[in-house]
Amino acid sequence: MTITQQAMGIQSPKQTRVRGGQILSYLVLLALFFITLFPFWWVLRTALTSPASVFSHTSSLTPVNPTTQNFERVLGLVDTEDLVGDGVVTSYMSTATLDFWVFLRNSFIVAGTITLGQTFFSSMAAYAFARIKFPLRDTVFFIYLTGLMIPSIVLFIPNFVFIRELDWIGTYQGIIAPTFLMTPFAVFFMRQFFLGLNKDLEEAAIIDGATRIGLFWRIALPLVKGPLLTLAILTFIGSWNEYLWPLLVGRDEHVRVLTVALGIFREQTPQGAPDWAGLMAGTAVSIVPAIVIFIFFGRKVVDSIQFSGFK
Amino acid sequence: MKSLRAVIFIALILAMTVPLTGLAQAQDDVTIRYMLWDNNQLPAYTECANQFMESNPGITVEIEQLGWGDYWTAVQTGFVTGDAPDVFTNHLAKYPEFVALEQLVDVQPLVERDSVPTDIYYPGLAELWVKDGARYGLPKDWDTVAVIYNADMLEAAGIDPAVMDEWTWNPEDGGTFEQVVAQLTLDANGNNGLSPDFDKDNVVQYGFTNDWATAAGYGQTSFSVFTASTGWTYNNGLWGNEYYYDDPRFTQSIQWIADLWLEKGYAAPFADVSGLGSFALFQSGKAALTTDGSWMIGSYLGSEFPVGFGRLPIGPEGRKSMFNGLADSIWVGSKHQEEAWQWVKYLGSAECQNIVGQAGVVFPAIPEATDLSLNVRADAGVDVSAFTLQAAEEGGTFLFPITDYGGEITVIMQEAMDRIALGEVDAETALTEANEEVNALFE
Amino acid sequence: MAASQIHIKPKRFILFELLNRLGNNEALIGYLFILPSLIGFAIFFAYPAVRAVYISFLDWNLLTDAKYVGLENYQTLFDDKRFWDSLQVTVLYVLWNIPLQTVLAIFMAVMLERFSTITSSIMRGIMILPWLMPNVVVALLWLWILDPSIGLMNEFLKAMGIGRQPFMGSPDQAIQSIAGINIWRHVGYTSILVFAGLKTIPKSLYEAAAMDGADDLMQFRKITLPLLRPVLVFVLVTSVIGSFQVFDTVAVTTGGGPAGSTRVIIYYIYQQVFERRIKMGMATAASVVLFSILITVTIVQMRLLRSGESDLADYQ
Repeated sequence: MTITQQAMGIQSPKQTRVRGGQILSYLVLLALFFITLFPFWWVLRTALTSPASVFSHTSSLTPVNPTTQNFERVLGLVDTEDLVGDGVVTSYMSTATLDFWVFLRNSFIVAGTITLGQTFFSSMAAYAFARIKFPLRDTVFFIYLTGLMIPSIVLFIPNFVFIRELDWIGTYQGIIAPTFLMTPFAVFFMRQFFLGLNKDLEEAAIIDGATRIGLFWRIALPLVKGPLLTLAILTFIGSWNEYLWPLLVGRDEHVRVLTVALGIFREQTPQGAPDWAGLMAGTAVSIVPAIVIFIFFGRKVVDSIQFSGFK
Repeated sequence: MKSLRAVIFIALILAMTVPLTGLAQAQDDVTIRYMLWDNNQLPAYTECANQFMESNPGITVEIEQLGWGDYWTAVQTGFVTGDAPDVFTNHLAKYPEFVALEQLVDVQPLVERDSVPTDIYYPGLAELWVKDGARYGLPKDWDTVAVIYNADMLEAAGIDPAVMDEWTWNPEDGGTFEQVVAQLTLDANGNNGLSPDFDKDNVVQYGFTNDWATAAGYGQTSFSVFTASTGWTYNNGLWGNEYYYDDPRFTQSIQWIADLWLEKGYAAPFADVSGLGSFALFQSGKAALTTDGSWMIGSYLGSEFPVGFGRLPIGPEGRKSMFNGLADSIWVGSKHQEEAWQWVKYLGSAECQNIVGQAGVVFPAIPEATDLSLNVRADAGVDVSAFTLQAAEEGGTFLFPITDYGGEITVIMQEAMDRIALGEVDAETALTEANEEVNALFE
Repeated sequence: MAASQIHIKPKRFILFELLNRLGNNEALIGYLFILPSLIGFAIFFAYPAVRAVYISFLDWNLLTDAKYVGLENYQTLFDDKRFWDSLQVTVLYVLWNIPLQTVLAIFMAVMLERFSTITSSIMRGIMILPWLMPNVVVALLWLWILDPSIGLMNEFLKAMGIGRQPFMGSPDQAIQSIAGINIWRHVGYTSILVFAGLKTIPKSLYEAAAMDGADDLMQFRKITLPLLRPVLVFVLVTSVIGSFQVFDTVAVTTGGGPAGSTRVIIYYIYQQVFERRIKMGMATAASVVLFSILITVTIVQMRLLRSGESDLADYQ
C-alpha cells in the first residue's frame, strides 16, 4: 500500500505534464478535423456562388451572390439552350448538364455489380488460400499479390483491346469485367481475416459431416461478415470513384457513370478556365450517394472490423 | 445473416445477366460519329448536324463532346483500339503526329472529285492542312491573339485604351508597352511601377500577366506575340526540321518577359499563374492586362468588371499574332469514309459555317460567316475588332509552326521555360541547351 | 481390345469414386474456390502484364508493325536523365507521403479510442469523408485552395502571420503539396484500418501496464505499437505500393511541372504514350522497372516488419 502511495506521490508532477500533453493532443485532433471538413464547406460555398463571381472575392468564406442556379444546371432543371440564347456572355460557363439521374443509375449498376462479384469471388479465393490445402497454393497467392504492383496504366490498353474484341465497348459489362472476378487487394484483405478464424468450429463441423462449401457458406462467411461488409463498402466506393477506365470504355451516354460525366463537365471551355461553380455543384451532388451509403452501413462497418491478426 | 446471404446470392445471379442495354441498336442507315472538344460550340454543330441529316436521309450524325484533355486521350486510344470517331476536330499541334502515325484520310482526291472550293476560306487556312500534296482536313475556324484589359484599372490609372492603337515594344527597354504596364502596376502603398518609391516585393495589382505555365515551345498566347514581332521565326518553315530557339532575338525577348516578374515586379510571378492560371488571376482583379486568344472572348466577358480588347503592341517588325486554325479530319479507320467525307464537306461549307457564325462563339473559316459572328457580338455591344483587324492586316499574322515531334518539343521546352520563369537559369543558357535537344529529334 | 474391355469396370469404379469424393477432395475443392478469381486474374492482370514485358523489347506504336529491338528500350531508358529524375521525384513523394500519413493515422486512431463508442463512430464517419470524393475532384479542389495568388490557404497563412507560399508553383514545394493533398484524402481511411487493429489489443495489457506505472506514452511504445504491427504491415504494404503509383493528382494539378519537379514515374510513362507518339516499348520498359522496384520494396518491407509473426504471444 505504502509503495503504491509513494508511486502516486512521485507521479503527480508527471501527471500534470501528461495532462498538458493530452490537451495538446485534443487540440491537434480538433485541428485535423477542421482540415478534414473545411474543404467540404468550400465545395458547397463555391457551388452556391454565382459563376460570374467565382474569381472575385476569392477569400470570402460564404457564397458570393448566392444562387442555386449551379445545382439546377447540373441536375438539368434548366434548359441549356436558353442559357446559350441569352447571348455570348454565357459562354464562360459550361452549358453542359449532367443527366444526373441516368448517370446516378449507371453508377449504382456498375459499382453495385462490381462490389457483389468482387467481394464474393475474392472471398472464395481468400478462403481457399487461408484454409484449404492444395498444391501450389502459396505460389498462386504470391502471384496474385504481385498483381497489386503492376502499374494500372500498362493494363489499360491490352484490357481495352480485349473488351473491344468482345464488342463490349459502351456496355455495362465492359466497365465491370476487369474487376468483377477479383482484385489482388480484395483477396489479400479477406485472406487475413480467414487466417484469423478459430479452426475449432470448422473441425467440429467437419466431424458433423459438413462439406467444404458448406463450411465456407455457413460457418466461415458469417464469421467474417464485418470485414466482408467493409470490403464491400471499400470496393463500392472505389468503383464509384473510378475514372479512367469507365472513361475509356463507357463514354456512351447510356452507360456513362457519374465520375465520367463530371470529368467531361470539368474542362468545357477549350484551354483552361473550368466552370468552377458548376463543377463544385456537380461534385457536391455526386458525393451525396457515397455519403448516404456510408451513413447507412458505415457505422456498422467501422465497428465490426476485427483484425484477427495478419499473417 | 441468412437473409443477407440470400440477397447476395440472388443479386449475383442478376449481376451475371445484366442486359446489353448500352449497345446501340443496329441501324440500316449509316451512323457517323463526330467528336469535338468545345462544349460551347455544341449547340451550333448540333444544328448543323440536323440540317445535314435532313438533306442526307441515309446518314445519321452522332456528336460526342469531351473536354480538351480527355478528348485527345480518347482520340488516341481510339486509333489504337479501332474505336476512334469517324470525323473529329483536329488541332495543328496534334495533326503532324497523326499524319506520322498514318491515321488521317487524305481528302485531296475527294476535293478534286467533287470540285470543292478551297479558296473560300481566309487565305492560308486551307494550306495548313496540306503536306506533300495530301490534304488532311477542311478548315472550320480560326483564331488570333490580342490584348485584353480591365477597363476599370485603366480608368483608375488615367490611361486611355486608345493608347493601344499605337503602343510599341522592343526587347531592350520594352517600349511604350512597358511604360503602360508599369503605370498599371500598383504596390501596397499605392505607388505605381514608374514611381521611384515603387516596392516590387509588395505588389497588389500587376500591370500584366500571361499564360506562361503552358507556354512551352509555341507560346501561342504568351511569348509568341513578342518574339514574332522581332522578326524571329520558330523554324525553317512549314514541316521544317530545324528550330531556332537559340536565336538572340528570341532569347533576349524571353529574358525581357521573364524579367517583368523576376526583376521589375510588373507581372505576376510564375508561381501565381501556374495553378489556376493567368485567366483566373485576371478575373480575380489582380492584373490589368493580358494577352489571350479569340476563343476566350466569351470567357473574359464573363468578368465582374468591364473588359476591353486592345491591339497588340507594335514590335521592331510590326504587330504579329499567331493565326491558328482548326479543321475537321477523317479517321483512316472509319468504315464509312464516303459518308464521313459528305459530313466534312458540309462542315466546311458556308451553310454550316454560317450557323456557327451566328452562334457567335468562334470565328468561322469563311469570311462571310465570320462577319455574322462579328454582328452578333456588335449587337451585344462588344468590340472584338482587335482580333479581326490583326487577321486582316498585311503581314499581321504568322502560322502555327507545324513540324513533327510536337509532343516531344512541348515536353523539352516547357521544362526550359519553367526554369527561366523561376529564375533558375538565364534564357540564353536554357534555350541554347533546349534547342540542341529539340533539333536532335530531327536527326 | 480385350485389355480395354477388362478396364471398363475399374474405370467406372474410379469415376464413381471421384464423384463420391468430390466433396472431400481438398485440392480439387481448393482449385474450384479460386477458379473464378483465377480467370479474372489471368485475363485482366497476368496476360496484359506478361504481354507488357514482351512489348518492352519492341519498338512499337500499336499502329504500325512492331520491330524487335532487344534491350534497346531499357538502354534508352537508363540513358534518359528524365527517367532517373522521375524515379527520384517518386521516391521523394513516397517519403513525404507515407511516414506523415501513417503517423497521423495512428495518432487519430489512438485518440479515437478515448471517446465513447458513439462519438468515435461519428468521428470515423467524418474522417472517411475525403476518401469518398473522387481523386480527380480532390485534386481540383486543392488546386483551387492552394493557388498561390487567389487561393484560400495563403489568405489563411496571412491571417496567421505567415508569408505567402507558392505551393505547387515552386519546385521546392510542389511534390510536398501533392503529398499533402493525398494525405488529406487517405489519412482517415488509413486511420480506420489502424483503429480496427487497435481493438484487437486486449485491454488487460494496458491495465497491467498502468498498474506498473507506465504513462500513456510508454504504454503506446511498449504495447500499442508492437501489437499493431500486423495491421501496419498491411497498411504500409498497400499504401506504399499505391504511393509509388501516384498519378491522378499530378496530372490534374501540375502536369509534371514546374520544371519537371513533379514528374513522377507513372507520369513519365503516361508521357511516353500520350505525348511522345505512343512509345509503347519505352512505356512498358519503364513499367517493368517500376514493377521490379515495387516487388523489392514489398519484400524488404515484409522482412523488416516480420509480417508473419505476432508479438501478442510474448505478453500472454
